[in-house]
Amino acid sequence: MKKLLSLVGGMSLMLATSAFAADTVKIGLMGPMTGAWAAEGQEMKQVVDMLAEELNQQGGLLGKKVEVISEDDAGDPRQSSLAANRLATQGIVAVIGTYGSSITEASQNIYDEAGIVQVANGSTAIRLSEKGLKNFFRTCPRDDEQGKVAVATIGKLGFKKIAILHDNTSYAKGLAEEAQTNLKGMSIPVVFFDALTPGERDYNAILTKMKASNPDFVFFTGYYPEAGLLLRQKKEMGWNVPFMGGDAVNNPDLVKIAGAPAAEGFSFLTPPLPKDLDTPEAKAFVASFQKKFSTEPKSIYPVLAGDGFRVVTAAIKGAGSAEPAKVSAYLKTTLKDFPGLTGKLSFNDKGDRIGEVYRVYKVDAQGNFVLQP
Amino acid sequence: MEQFFQQLTNGLAVGGIYALIALGYTMVYGVLKLINFAHGDLFTIGAYLGLTLLTSLALTDHVGGFLGVGLLALMVMGLVGIIGMLLERIAYRPLRESPRLSAVVSALGASIFFQNAIMLIYGAKFYVYPQDLLPKIPVYIFGMPVPLMRILILVASVVMMVALYLFVQKTKIGTAIRAAAIDQGAARLMGIDVNRVIMLVFCIGPALGGAAGMMVGIYYGQINFTMGWIYGLKAFTAAILGGIGNIPGAMVGGLLLGVIEALGAAYISIAWKDAIAFFVLIVILIVRPTGLLGERVAEKI
Repeated sequence: MKKLLSLVGGMSLMLATSAFAADTVKIGLMGPMTGAWAAEGQEMKQVVDMLAEELNQQGGLLGKKVEVISEDDAGDPRQSSLAANRLATQGIVAVIGTYGSSITEASQNIYDEAGIVQVANGSTAIRLSEKGLKNFFRTCPRDDEQGKVAVATIGKLGFKKIAILHDNTSYAKGLAEEAQTNLKGMSIPVVFFDALTPGERDYNAILTKMKASNPDFVFFTGYYPEAGLLLRQKKEMGWNVPFMGGDAVNNPDLVKIAGAPAAEGFSFLTPPLPKDLDTPEAKAFVASFQKKFSTEPKSIYPVLAGDGFRVVTAAIKGAGSAEPAKVSAYLKTTLKDFPGLTGKLSFNDKGDRIGEVYRVYKVDAQGNFVLQP
Repeated sequence: MEQFFQQLTNGLAVGGIYALIALGYTMVYGVLKLINFAHGDLFTIGAYLGLTLLTSLALTDHVGGFLGVGLLALMVMGLVGIIGMLLERIAYRPLRESPRLSAVVSALGASIFFQNAIMLIYGAKFYVYPQDLLPKIPVYIFGMPVPLMRILILVASVVMMVALYLFVQKTKIGTAIRAAAIDQGAARLMGIDVNRVIMLVFCIGPALGGAAGMMVGIYYGQINFTMGWIYGLKAFTAAILGGIGNIPGAMVGGLLLGVIEALGAAYISIAWKDAIAFFVLIVILIVRPTGLLGERVAEKI
């Protein structure tokens, strides 16, 4: 009896271990599935799950299926470190995400210590890639890049008195400071520099104060919910100053919140929108997304998460190994001009994406985002 | 000077909403000594229900803007009131005899439950109220344009607050509420059905919060499921500022907090707006630990 028991025990143990070594390549996805940015996070999950499904239909990776394990960071740094700890223990090769810079920052060291490759999709704060972390990458550009494009645009349009408003998140503050420094370099005076509290509804007090400093151009570096309210309340005040946003305002809900009349003429910087992506990969991607979810991908960041997934899987395939160190080395040295959904992808030594990504968009009278030449 | 008055109206509009939400905190605290942390989420529910009823019933197309919005507000208040009573019955009454901390934990749990329930039912995206519900004409006060909506919000808030005050002070049921606030045991001995009084408080408070949610939706346009958090926090602060448990205190606290925020943002720093508001709160609490109008603590509510 004892023998039988130990035999059964041994067999079940073997079964269990073989189940653990199950033939899947595990890739994590960390995104804001709940919380204020939940719309972005849920679309990130749709995109990555869809790409994984497609990849598995084509035979998976290294002869194994790809398994995506998602965790919710709730757009909150505390939640993000919990999510990172949970993911790090599940044998993932790489993690895709996340969206906000401060949220990514809270998870970076956890993944680094666990030796997991992290590919952020929306975190543009400069310092994230200046820490010398070997396995950190991002498919979105950096804020200094964006700051340069912003200031170049302002210079080209010939404005003389600039107001800069941010929302105290690492991303928005970083971009605002970058723009301020660059404007100083071009000796264009910044007449107003301050921060609002995100998540509020009433920004009349801020607009009233900003108006008193009499700028001829406003650069808001925060996110779309606040940008929409600012535009709407600015219109109600009857103030016609031109507004420009950073890439975090790139979401169609901006126009819904502001209303088309208030949003008209608003311009912003962003990597190209899903609809303006013209590579064959991007067109195929948008078509299958449309087919699966009967709506277009709304924001570029989930698409950048998709690019993160695609470079990681390409690197695993190219390196012939699912070992994070090899994947990371492959991404830095071998992968060049990878045909991504958002254009060509290459990474430098810091893990930053190389190349010009930003475009200027403007909202037209119907509320459409129109790519500016 | 023009900036000062402009900021004053900015502050009063925000403060009117704070005050309306603060009433819910203060009434519940007055009777039960419980901070109803789910109150901010009842406010959110009001905003969502308002939008749902607005788009599904299309009342405003049939009876015109003002009447339609008024009717909708009554419906929203009724529904949120019912949700408030259910909340009391399910989450608070079973804990009435437990230590106060248990009820506070239950309140926090209810808040998380409501927030996530709204997210699961409506989704995480932002919803937007129709833009042209009420005419967007400015009214000129001393030659200064003030949006009509802002005046309506302030007037509606003040009317509701005064009505509530009169109800509590002048009617028989109001007297019962005040009696239950002072001493539940004694009130019961006098033949007052304390459970019904508490039910009523949990109907009126959330109803006002729901109305505030709908006002925020109509005026600012944008609603999402996390909106109750900041408003709840600010209204709670306003209730403490005015003296929690005291109805005129909630009104004064709300309006004052809104004005302090607006003026702090205007003359000191926008980024420090909340810090300034809370600094003022601390100073007031050091000087008057019971809040501004807190001397009537003995006959709360």
